[in-house]
Amino acid sequence: MALKNWALRKSLWVYHVNTGACNNCDIEVLDLLTPRYDIERFGMILVGSPRHADVLAVTGSCTRQAQPRLQEVYRQTAKPCVVMAIGSCANAQGIFAESYHMGSPVDETIRAVDPDAIIAYVPGCPPKPEAMIAAVVKAWDVINTL
Amino acid sequence: MSQAVTPSRAQVPLVGFVGQALAELGDAVVAVERCDERRGVARIDAERTLEVAKKLLAMDGSRLATATGIDVRDGIDVLYHWCFEPQGVVITIKVLAARPSLTLESIATHVPAANWIEREMHDLLGANFRNHPDMRRLILDDSWPEGVYPLRKDFDQVADRPPLPPVPPAPEEGVS
Repeated sequence: MALKNWALRKSLWVYHVNTGACNNCDIEVLDLLTPRYDIERFGMILVGSPRHADVLAVTGSCTRQAQPRLQEVYRQTAKPCVVMAIGSCANAQGIFAESYHMGSPVDETIRAVDPDAIIAYVPGCPPKPEAMIAAVVKAWDVINTL
Repeated sequence: MSQAVTPSRAQVPLVGFVGQALAELGDAVVAVERCDERRGVARIDAERTLEVAKKLLAMDGSRLATATGIDVRDGIDVLYHWCFEPQGVVITIKVLAARPSLTLESIATHVPAANWIEREMHDLLGANFRNHPDMRRLILDDSWPEGVYPLRKDFDQVADRPPLPPVPPAPEEGVS
């Protein structure tokens, strides 16, 4: 596991999961790829399959429909991996917490499948791209302690 | 929303294009609630929904913009909003799907634009549409139980939530 964790520190590949977001967080995720933030200089790229990914960037409040699908996507991600819960909705379901069609929050949903999951919380509505980069840096710090 | 406060047809004079359009619907209109230069609201006979929809669809420049469902005391009020683009007019046709059957004739057989919105009203409010061409579930999730309607007034958004969907079964170990 130590070798895998060491490898996880380099060139994180990101898979983006939308579990019912309003698209504002998704736009901010997209900003990370533009020349202003350019996360590819750290070796991070967005990939098209969870099986290629080291990081799950989860946006949205995790609706009932999305909940089992998010769990399935998490299972298919190569371990070890980091889950980033991006935005107020993904952290605590935001203003939608008391609406009828909500599943469990993203962290509970992931922990139902894997209690030891590494979850980075990025608050904000939407969070700044700098906040997402900071979350990745903090996730790195956590991986270093493993 | 009771019938007593609804102004009768005589109290609202039929004026302009809206009045003309409502007059064309004939005696299917049971009450005109509003008839302004660019806005009309009329309640129609619940048995004659399809006939009224056919007439409105045949008028020049008309289209069904959307429909609204409201849970009221006597049943579910279905509001069909018809746009008339050349005149810049919106006419709302109100129909009451009365308790206990909550059933109306579907207009989706002749107005395809009403197909999905009638399915949505069936999902969320439990209004039933007779002869709807394709009454499958539209927007609630797969694990939502039948017969639970989240936009009814007596549904508590938190307390009445159905149980969450189960965790999907884990893949078999050792399979690569």
